[in-house]
Amino acid sequence: MKRKYLYTALIAVSTFILVQSCSKSGGSDKPTDPVVNGFDRKTMLTNISTNIIIPSYTAYQGAVVNLDAAVTAFNTAPDATKLTALQAAFKTAYQLWQSASEFDFGPAEQANLRVNTNTYPTDVNQITSNISSGTYNPALLANLSAKGLPAMDYLLFGTGTDNNAILLQYTTDAQAAKRKTYLATLSTELKTNITTVLTAWNGGYKTTFINADGTDTGSSVGLLINQLVYDYEILKNYEVGIPAGVQSMGTTFPTKVQAYYSKISAQLASLHLQAVQNLYLGKSAQGDGSGLDDYLVQAKAKYTDGSSLNDVIKAQFATATTKVQALTDPLSVQITTNTSVVTAAYTELQKLTVLLKTDLPSSLGVLITFGDNDGD
Amino acid sequence: MLDKIRKQFSYFFNKPTHIASLAVLRIAFGSIMLVSTVRFILKGWVTAFYIKPQFHFTFYGFDWVKAPGVIGIWVLFTLLALSAILIIIGLSYRLAITAFFLCFTYVELIDKTTYLNHYYFVSVIAFLLMLVPAHRYFSVDTWRKPSLSVTHVPGWAINIFKLQLVLVYFFAGISKITYDWLIAAMPLKIWLPACSNLPIIGGLITQNWVAYVFSWIGMLFDLLIGFFLLSNKTRRPAYLMVIIFHVVTGWFFKIGMFPYIMIFVTTVFFSAETHLKIIGFFKKLFFITPQVGESQRTFQPTKNISSLISVVLILHFTLQLLLPFRYLLYPGELYWTEEGYRFSWRVMLMEKGGTAFFHVKDPATGRQSEIINSQYLTQFQEAQMATQPDMILQYAHFLAHEYEKKGIKNPIITTNSYVTLNGSGTQLYIDSTVNLATQQETFGHKKWILPFHKKY
Repeated sequence: MKRKYLYTALIAVSTFILVQSCSKSGGSDKPTDPVVNGFDRKTMLTNISTNIIIPSYTAYQGAVVNLDAAVTAFNTAPDATKLTALQAAFKTAYQLWQSASEFDFGPAEQANLRVNTNTYPTDVNQITSNISSGTYNPALLANLSAKGLPAMDYLLFGTGTDNNAILLQYTTDAQAAKRKTYLATLSTELKTNITTVLTAWNGGYKTTFINADGTDTGSSVGLLINQLVYDYEILKNYEVGIPAGVQSMGTTFPTKVQAYYSKISAQLASLHLQAVQNLYLGKSAQGDGSGLDDYLVQAKAKYTDGSSLNDVIKAQFATATTKVQALTDPLSVQITTNTSVVTAAYTELQKLTVLLKTDLPSSLGVLITFGDNDGD
Repeated sequence: MLDKIRKQFSYFFNKPTHIASLAVLRIAFGSIMLVSTVRFILKGWVTAFYIKPQFHFTFYGFDWVKAPGVIGIWVLFTLLALSAILIIIGLSYRLAITAFFLCFTYVELIDKTTYLNHYYFVSVIAFLLMLVPAHRYFSVDTWRKPSLSVTHVPGWAINIFKLQLVLVYFFAGISKITYDWLIAAMPLKIWLPACSNLPIIGGLITQNWVAYVFSWIGMLFDLLIGFFLLSNKTRRPAYLMVIIFHVVTGWFFKIGMFPYIMIFVTTVFFSAETHLKIIGFFKKLFFITPQVGESQRTFQPTKNISSLISVVLILHFTLQLLLPFRYLLYPGELYWTEEGYRFSWRVMLMEKGGTAFFHVKDPATGRQSEIINSQYLTQFQEAQMATQPDMILQYAHFLAHEYEKKGIKNPIITTNSYVTLNGSGTQLYIDSTVNLATQQETFGHKKWILPFHKKY
């Protein structure tokens, strides 16, 4: 009997506490205190969208508009100067894409921006057949590897041994006219895609993004971390690992590097890693704003040895950056002549993967996969 | 003394009880299952979990359960929805509940990636519902064939559900009596601040003491609620607690249908009078004239069926009592090794994440490749696999098979896998020197799981 009273009392007390804890802060109009309220995800999302995502898209879009204009100018009257100018415009666009590829959710996901822009290695046979047939269906799956920056990389740098030979492909070659048309189609498609995405961000999506400040699968933090990791793994696997033979029993595939023909692969990999790091830090031209690093610090996230997880991640970013900066262009040549430097970079990138993919979301309780969890 | 116990026992199992409780349970369970199935379909999970993956993680001993293909899986889900409707209205009930149990359990057995305690719970309740005459009151079956109709059933037909629920809650409570849950307030210390965007209480739940309060309330609730529901005196406040508790956790965490399933199914604890009132309400709703003065007719299965059911129930509950303790047979930290973890009502106890890199080596050339997991697994599968040793082993065997098909004899499969448990930080999970291709799945301890170190 006594026990019953005890239980009843316990239930009463727990109900009371639960109700209290649910209603306590309800009426308070106190200004939000960041220490009391924990990490302010809205501030982070605002910083990331305003200072990182939109400026990155804007810069890349501007570069692609220039690229498209350079293609038009070149196509009107192809000559060596215009080819050089076009090649330069292309390199700029490819460089800026490295900081724009990370955000493949929302508008970018709808436009399939990442695969439409940068699927490589490019399929030269498919490109050649598209040019000679004069038909090109952008929705066709096979054309994913015959379009975007990698296809232009081939068309502008790979169709001849030097610029004189390349120029002939657009002047005297039997397919010259068709080749010019194809080139223009590709640059226009790049421009259309990024413009659609940027317009959506400048429209209502930015607000949607900032307001989805939860931590479940569809939340902005969830999407951001998920895509950060996904994009980072592309860097690790496709820009470095696969060409270096890591996934093919040691057989190297130098031609599978990003930007194989323009020979700026190593440079792009460095820029890409830098972009991932900036997103993690919340760092932009406006300075070091609120980012995932601050979130981890606020959550007092620890690494296995008890040290700060943020410190460990930053240190590994530094180590990986050193190794990636040791890569030299043309990367395809370095892979053949000095594979160990490339695999060394891969090893350090690999270590960072675990930190970003597991330690980071697990310390914050952020969900990145679909499906329900066990309930209680 | 013994005599008294025997009497109590007999009372519990044989005392004729009004069948209304069972009819309401049938309707409640059918309804929530219908909603659950439709929700699952609308979320696109049929495709994502059962059509898209090229490889499935089957349960040990159930390798014969295969994903039935696009048409097959949709047939299964259509059957699930249909049988749920039939269960609600009580039409061809025996067939419907059997079909539901078989289809549901089959779907769950296809891939352990999606394993959740509440799916297991659904299977268990459906199984028990197969054994009882829940259609012999307030059902289309009795309307079509009035001779089926009864007013009373022997006590066991209702009490087995109460017993099952008490066990579920109680074991869930016991599993929370751990250092991590009570003293470290983990994983709630990680999970609650992640909910800080919730209106009203968002600011509060980032505070440490709240994680402690929630942990202790959760433990006490699970441990005691079953008993409070059993007692006439405490039932009403206890049920109110059930609603509050499950709605709150459902609001905080992404736990799907579970809170609602529990809120619906625990109504079985209420008295026959309450259930008669509920049925009376339904009757009014559908303009059915209530019968006046129903004469008592007690359901009495034949002796053979009775003894068969007794045997099944004794086996079932013995298993229910033992399964949650089987982890004691394994060395090491349970949440780390997960040996004996499933089917034990251990819920919400871990924030666990992992990354696993697999390598395949050709013993003939000594050359080695790393696997890109996304080539074979969905993101969901990869994430679940990385933290569960039996899935790591299954995947390693799958990879060995794939590479044998590619012409490599006896490929050596190793993994570099890193796991973090309740904020421990990642550490090496599986002995990276062990060739998993030659390791066999057994009920025994997996020696290649490295021990868990909590360094600070």
